[in-house]
Amino acid sequence: MVIDFSTFYDLPREIARIMDEASRPLLISQRRSAYPLVNLAEDQDSYFVDLEMPGVDAGKVELTLTERNLTVQGERPAQAGRFYRQERGAGSFQRIITLGAPVDKDKVTARYADGILRITLPKAEAVKPRKISISAQD
Amino acid sequence: MSDDIQKTTQELPAFVPATDIVEQEDGFHIYMDMPGVPKESLAIDLQENEVAIEGFSSYAAPAGAKAHHAEFGAGRFVRTFSLSDAVDRGRIKAVLKDGVLNLFLPKAEAVKPRKITIQSV
Repeated sequence: MVIDFSTFYDLPREIARIMDEASRPLLISQRRSAYPLVNLAEDQDSYFVDLEMPGVDAGKVELTLTERNLTVQGERPAQAGRFYRQERGAGSFQRIITLGAPVDKDKVTARYADGILRITLPKAEAVKPRKISISAQD
Repeated sequence: MSDDIQKTTQELPAFVPATDIVEQEDGFHIYMDMPGVPKESLAIDLQENEVAIEGFSSYAAPAGAKAHHAEFGAGRFVRTFSLSDAVDRGRIKAVLKDGVLNLFLPKAEAVKPRKITIQSV
């Protein structure tokens, strides 16, 4: 045997892991059920969608933008061989993100680095905040 | 100043990275999900019969943006494995690509299967 798989070998770490999971903030509620994990942020000009999907071929990830939804589809390749331990999921995945306001479809950009995909969706001109100048009437 | 940095990294939540251990023809591969970890923040320590892997995710939300929903963040990935003598330590290789670490542990020549020729007397 090459690697030690003894259940109790990692016991202190296992306990730390269980405690860690119990103390995780409720904000991170979908941790187990959804893949990939998503972070959403917004500034004045854009929406930012960050997806945690390590080991994915960025060229094969499909992003579809409709009026209200952004759909992310992709596939995580499976490894071949004899498994001693398998914790990483493989197969195709999809996640739909609902956008709160219209975005400028032509200016959407996506960048994949270190296993994290960041999609920047500039807001449509119509919904950007703007200053309104008041014209005084005498 | 350096104390401050030390403190910050210590306070990052520690995760046990999801790991596959696969035996292939050339040896053993340990695949580890470490999203957000650049090559510079990954340390692999081989000591006697233990290999310790530690990586820091430098993930940060876009600067100046307001977060609405968060399912992941920056963190520290830590995991340790013990190796047997079947691994050729001198030829261990590590590749980090797209947030996945591939640690290759080749089998030592001594344990590779081989045919034994029968000598006639």
